[in-house]
Amino acid sequence: MKSENKLKGRDLINIGIYGAIYFVILFAVAMLGMIPVFLPLLSVIVPILGGIPFMLFLTKVKKPGMILIMAMIMGILMLLTGMGPWPLLTCAIAGVLAELCFRSGEYRSAKKAVLSYGLFSMWIFGNYLPLFTDYEGYFAQRADYGQAYIDAVQKLMPLWMAPVLLVACFVCGLIGGLLGRALLKKHFEKAGLA
Amino acid sequence: MTYSSERSREERRGFLDPRTKLALVLILALFVMGGLGGDQLKPIKTVLSALPFLLLLIERQWGRFARGAAMLAAGYGLLFLMPFLPGVLNYIALLCGGVLTRFVVTVVMGEYLIATTSVSEFISAMERLHMPQAITIPMSVMFRLFPTIGAEWRSIRRAMAMRGISFGGAKATQVLEYQLVPMMTSTVRIGEELSASALTRGLGGPMRRTNICRIGFRAQDCILFAGCLFVIAVWIMELCGVKLW
Repeated sequence: MKSENKLKGRDLINIGIYGAIYFVILFAVAMLGMIPVFLPLLSVIVPILGGIPFMLFLTKVKKPGMILIMAMIMGILMLLTGMGPWPLLTCAIAGVLAELCFRSGEYRSAKKAVLSYGLFSMWIFGNYLPLFTDYEGYFAQRADYGQAYIDAVQKLMPLWMAPVLLVACFVCGLIGGLLGRALLKKHFEKAGLA
Repeated sequence: MTYSSERSREERRGFLDPRTKLALVLILALFVMGGLGGDQLKPIKTVLSALPFLLLLIERQWGRFARGAAMLAAGYGLLFLMPFLPGVLNYIALLCGGVLTRFVVTVVMGEYLIATTSVSEFISAMERLHMPQAITIPMSVMFRLFPTIGAEWRSIRRAMAMRGISFGGAKATQVLEYQLVPMMTSTVRIGEELSASALTRGLGGPMRRTNICRIGFRAQDCILFAGCLFVIAVWIMELCGVKLW
């Protein structure tokens, strides 16, 4: 039993494949965040679009640890793309929660899969944390974007937005999970991938 | 007298060790793109920004160098033009310029890392850093797949544009379904073939894998590492309130 639960090469490669798709979508959408209006909307768009590869990924998850590794890799990539160390922390927390949730459904339950993706999506909140923990410092670092940008972002992101964004990540994660499931049924099962 | 295979290995060896490249990406991401540090680090950041371009020239990556330089020039050009533009254009120019000058350097460094490091070199470097396989295998698969996904994405977009399914031509949901889904399907298929090939070559097996890549620190690596440490030291001193210049 123990050896069956150990991660093998194929599982790790699967994490890489779906992680790559997830990250490309994330990165393409994150570029929109340069426009101030889209900055809070990232917590809506990323979880919804990311749901498609992630639900496909969950069909391959049969052993403990895979979701957590996926989350940690996202954290490391965020560090390498200049989002600072905060996402590492939120990734660890969200990864463990998602892992436990999917595990309680014995890696099979469809409802738990959607819930698990909702929990996983909460790591995105880590990207906003530098803004809320050091409100003044964040804008001082971005002074070269111009006062108009800073004014616009400050108007869109008052401090009370923090919990709103966290909830948005979770709720949109659920929506993304449902969307992912719908597409899974419509396309991927037919193609023999799920 | 060396064997010819040994000589060719030495010739193919990259200018830098993969670990040095990773350290440089991290430093650039934190300081140039992340905007860490205050006024004292400004001159250092200028030097750091030139570094990836220099490295691309050393590795003779002319195309990438030209593209990166053009984007950086466009960024500074916008910042330069900005005061002369009216109203909204002024604001857009400032934002685009700020984003370009800040991001291009780190993106170029990342491109350099991906373009000049083979998967074996990457794995071998990670092994020497004692990273667990659970992190290195997915990461190396990802680095291998990024260019593939880009190529697939472009051809699917072309095919769908021919049928009028592109941004501007069709609804967002249609774009999503007919562009994203095929992209994922083909990436997963390519990934599965990759996985079969990697497993055949013993990736993730219980035995320790050997590797013919020659990596290791040479003079240029030591210099760049010293540079990285210097940047961190200056940053810490600045946090402690020491005035350097």
